[in-house]
Amino acid sequence: MPTLTFPLSRIEGHAQVVIEVQEGEIVSARFQAMEFRGFDYLCQGVPAEQMAVIAPRICGVCSTAHHVAAVKALENAYDVELPPLACTIRELLMLGQIIQNQATSMFIFTMPDRLGLSSIFQTAEKEGPDEVRARIAGRALQVRKAGTDLITLAGGQFIHPVKAVVGGVTSGISAEAAATTRKDLAEVLPVAHELFDYYWELSLALRKRIGTWGDDTPTYYITALAESCPNYDADVIQVMGPDGAMCASFSARDFRAHLTSQDVEYSYADQTSYRGQAMRANSLARVNMVRRMGTPLADEYLARFHEAFGQPAHAILLFDLGRGVELIYGLERAMEILAEPLDHEDTQVPYTPRDGEGYGLVEAPRGPLIHRYRIEKGLIAQAEFIIPTVHNSLAIERALRIAAERYITAERVDMELERAVGRVVRAFDPCIACATH
Amino acid sequence: MLRFAVLQLSGCAGCEVSLLNAGEWVDQYKLVYMPLVISAYDVPVVDVLLVSGGVRTDDDSYNLRRAARRAGQVVAVGTCAISGGVASLGDRDDVRNLFLAEAGRRHVPQLLPRCHSLDAVAEIDLYVPGCPPTPELFLAVLSDPTDFRASKIVCQECGRKKLKDMRPTRLIGFQQGEVVPNICLINQGYLCLGTSVRGGCRAPCPRAGHPCVGCRGPSDALISKGSVAWLAMIKGVFAGMTDIPVEELDVALRSPHLALFLFQFSDYAGTERPPRPKEKVL
Repeated sequence: MPTLTFPLSRIEGHAQVVIEVQEGEIVSARFQAMEFRGFDYLCQGVPAEQMAVIAPRICGVCSTAHHVAAVKALENAYDVELPPLACTIRELLMLGQIIQNQATSMFIFTMPDRLGLSSIFQTAEKEGPDEVRARIAGRALQVRKAGTDLITLAGGQFIHPVKAVVGGVTSGISAEAAATTRKDLAEVLPVAHELFDYYWELSLALRKRIGTWGDDTPTYYITALAESCPNYDADVIQVMGPDGAMCASFSARDFRAHLTSQDVEYSYADQTSYRGQAMRANSLARVNMVRRMGTPLADEYLARFHEAFGQPAHAILLFDLGRGVELIYGLERAMEILAEPLDHEDTQVPYTPRDGEGYGLVEAPRGPLIHRYRIEKGLIAQAEFIIPTVHNSLAIERALRIAAERYITAERVDMELERAVGRVVRAFDPCIACATH
Repeated sequence: MLRFAVLQLSGCAGCEVSLLNAGEWVDQYKLVYMPLVISAYDVPVVDVLLVSGGVRTDDDSYNLRRAARRAGQVVAVGTCAISGGVASLGDRDDVRNLFLAEAGRRHVPQLLPRCHSLDAVAEIDLYVPGCPPTPELFLAVLSDPTDFRASKIVCQECGRKKLKDMRPTRLIGFQQGEVVPNICLINQGYLCLGTSVRGGCRAPCPRAGHPCVGCRGPSDALISKGSVAWLAMIKGVFAGMTDIPVEELDVALRSPHLALFLFQFSDYAGTERPPRPKEKVL
């Protein structure tokens, strides 16, 4: 049986796609995660308070989400109520994460697919118009850096931040520092706006060239957003049905009653399903669920998105456009927050550590992320990480199969398949370090 | 133009993300391989090979050996590459068996019995510690590492004041309680390692009110001495600055498995591997 193997790049981590074909029929399309470090195991026995430092090391791309989820899990176990200012500063952290991630996914990972390049940084003799590099790479890095600078401000360090601690954050933000960052974000917003418009145009051109937006099967969607507009520091997980009706709402503590997880022999990443069905997390789930973003420019983009593609929209390349809406929102919302006083009151409450079980939930860029810790004698007796990329595993494989069916016949394999595989996987922006942890 | 490549083994991509923030390289150096941002499937001949992550699978070991042969200079980047990093926390008898249960999968790279540092597999020309190394350190590697000037220890870069008359009697932990601005974290009873950890990061953590967790490893003065000397040095600092009972400190430092905090101690504890020469550490 012929087997086609596609190594993957421009995603976080080590993964490949393997498609098995028999007489033009697709036997299987597999998404394989190829690395494993074993955080479930290696966290056993560490002092619980160290989790806020250890858990971010699961992933350098998503470290902010893990940092906040770890602290929230401990707070849940110790029954701590946060002061409002600490929540606000953590929201800034999560906004920095969304700006950084969506800019990276759009302008560094997937922009090259729309330009027919192997990278926006390439200078290879044969392919690279240096002009592209000059026009896009510099600005892409500038937008991304606005997100990382925001994480540095609110988190101390832009990778593996440290400022969220059990009971709050280590300090507020001075008016002066807030004003400086706010000014930088104001300069970056038009750059992001312009790059996103260009990206939107290029996406329409791509759609025209290949004749599809990809797998558009109506599907379940999962997020941990608030009801009306986004809040990435969330408390409830919501599921939307294929018809757009909300069909479940539950706390992190109850996730097992709704989600089924199973491991697969060919990958170090598990697969989760909702009532046995594939579901989707990440940007498309969020833009499908929210009515409005709550900031002016992002709301214009959201309205444009819903008008062009419907609500819910199902085609996978729309994940990429959804990220742009969130990038703009992240910049605008962060500027709103930075205009408020951020050092006027306490950022921490005292607490007493105790044994028990805690759940920490955040809406990470890739979807709902849960950390679950069981604490005995102050040490981690059991740690579990419920990872958003894993929620997308089945949806990725289905989309791969649909792409394979489009480009493989009994007679031939269309050369477009390799590019299609890359586009499908990158639409989901999977994170393999997280998925396998 | 200097050609460089970035090979990511089993790690978190944090080092790569840090490199992306050192955007100045885009116009100065030619990046030819880095799967995170370039679709290219084999490491070509390069002047400098940056390698991040630890050697956790048979693929990691193979890919490192293969790429190192084609590189003018091999640079171990980040704590995982240098000492195994966070994954070394799994290098304990009680945990190792759990890993073996994962090893039976098919069609995926096989796990090695433990996570190795790069120098167990290939010769390393330069070590750049940090979790992750700051963008500034990446630029120093690519331009001229010998030009890089940093303070000897994190403490000198932190800017918090040490007070003679503020002597805590209890360790308040490592991540607990209110942080007083501008005052040394040790004076406040935090388990901060900045007094013995290699400088060069500009102390982002203690500046933000979080104790130094030692990701840059031991300072030049301690690098060849092993973890016993390192632990003694930290205890000496606390004895001089605080009235915290030494037993309390000892328990916290060992917390447990010599794991504090980024698992550097376990690497420097009684291994047979000779110390890394300090001339090779940035």
